[in-house]
Amino acid sequence: MNQVRAELRKLLGLPSAWLAVLLGLVMAPAVVLANAPYTRRTIADGTATDLADLGFRDLAFGIIGPLVLGVVAVSSEYRSTGEDAPGARQLTASLTAMPHRLRFLAAKTAALTLVVAVLAAAAAAATIAVTAATLGDHVPPPGAARVLAAVLYWVLTALLAYAVTLIARNGIVPLVVFVLNSSVVSVSYLLTKVTDLAVYLPDIAGAQMFVRGLDVPVRLSPLTAGLVLAAWVAALLSVGAALFHRRDP
Amino acid sequence: MITIERVSKTKGRKPVLYDVSFAARPGRVTGFLGPNGAGKTSTLRILLGLDRPDAGTALVCGRPYRRLHRPLTTVGALLDGSGAHRSRTARAHLRWVAASNGLPRRRVGEVLETVGLTADAGRRAGRFSLGMSRRLGLAAALLGDPEVLVLDEPVNGLDPAGIRWMRAFLREQAGRGRTVLLSSHLMGELAETVDDVVVIDRGRIAGRGTLAEVTGDHPSLEDAFFALTGTGGTW
Repeated sequence: MNQVRAELRKLLGLPSAWLAVLLGLVMAPAVVLANAPYTRRTIADGTATDLADLGFRDLAFGIIGPLVLGVVAVSSEYRSTGEDAPGARQLTASLTAMPHRLRFLAAKTAALTLVVAVLAAAAAAATIAVTAATLGDHVPPPGAARVLAAVLYWVLTALLAYAVTLIARNGIVPLVVFVLNSSVVSVSYLLTKVTDLAVYLPDIAGAQMFVRGLDVPVRLSPLTAGLVLAAWVAALLSVGAALFHRRDP
Repeated sequence: MITIERVSKTKGRKPVLYDVSFAARPGRVTGFLGPNGAGKTSTLRILLGLDRPDAGTALVCGRPYRRLHRPLTTVGALLDGSGAHRSRTARAHLRWVAASNGLPRRRVGEVLETVGLTADAGRRAGRFSLGMSRRLGLAAALLGDPEVLVLDEPVNGLDPAGIRWMRAFLREQAGRGRTVLLSSHLMGELAETVDDVVVIDRGRIAGRGTLAEVTGDHPSLEDAFFALTGTGGTW
């Protein structure tokens, strides 16, 4: 418990983590708001595909928040503490305070999960509220299971970024890859045009946990989608933990 | 009490420690002396459970560091840098360290006072001078009021007043019955502070004993050091 408290303090003491929280909270509602006139038109002329997806589809834009949180939770440990001592990192302080490697990782994972779950719930609530306020009459009320699935998707995505950073021991590459793939151009989505297998990539599978009308060659049920993403997270986290346990920091 | 027994370590293909054994006893300041790259930091990192030895054991109060429950209440360690993330304030850094070992919050203020950083507690660690970073590192080491102190080059980066303060501080800690192990490549500095000396050179223990024993017939610890390591002080 002490260790989880310490990890919460560490994560929430980073300016980059607060930036991530802000992005996670604001992005999706902002996109809903910006798209509202267009969405209203598609509803009016009957071209809107799945009204139940409204809001949820845009929730994907906020995923940058959990991605950044997952990366910085680990990369902050490896960042050099100053020019005077280029080899010195926070990790030394962490491991002298919490020398049991796996217990330390468990505490860190718990802290990240907690922060992202709260952020995801808040972001989902904000997005649903903005959707209801702007498109009110047209949108069916969101199902609790779907909101829960969206929260779970955010948590698992954060853990995925966390696991990859743990393996890479550096935040730059994972951050660039994840943020580009989730915003500018989705390489995974392009891959679905090449092979059906790409639907099992973590982000494509994950999105189907709570978005129905995704344009993919093979549709996964929300449960299957969740299990696929969870399997990715479990596999990468196991590799990351094993390496962390074995390597000298 | 610190016991290092037959520790060997290879990094990559390069052997860095061969069969290193020594002890540091309570109530005494033990100086771990050697040129840069001799294996001082490697030994201390193994002692602190950061790196794993290929062979041998390193024990603190009879236990490997990684098995210590709330280790900061037993051992305080100062390694390179402060250990604080650049964007954290000194106070925020110490607060998470204290929380991790279930230490009361008031300890943060107390150790900041001890190392003279109270006025700078709200500044970000990334803006600290080298000397201030060392003080912050020492503050973290003292949080759990430990009976063993392990300090890697503690006077590095300190100004003359800081060095003087550190010397008095370490003597006082040993005077209270605590075990103090400090590494240094500055022999003159060490001779003024330590009771016992362990000399390491190219990964091997080249000599150990009380300050008088290691100095022997040589005019100074420095002369003894060069005789032991066979370097003769030439570049």
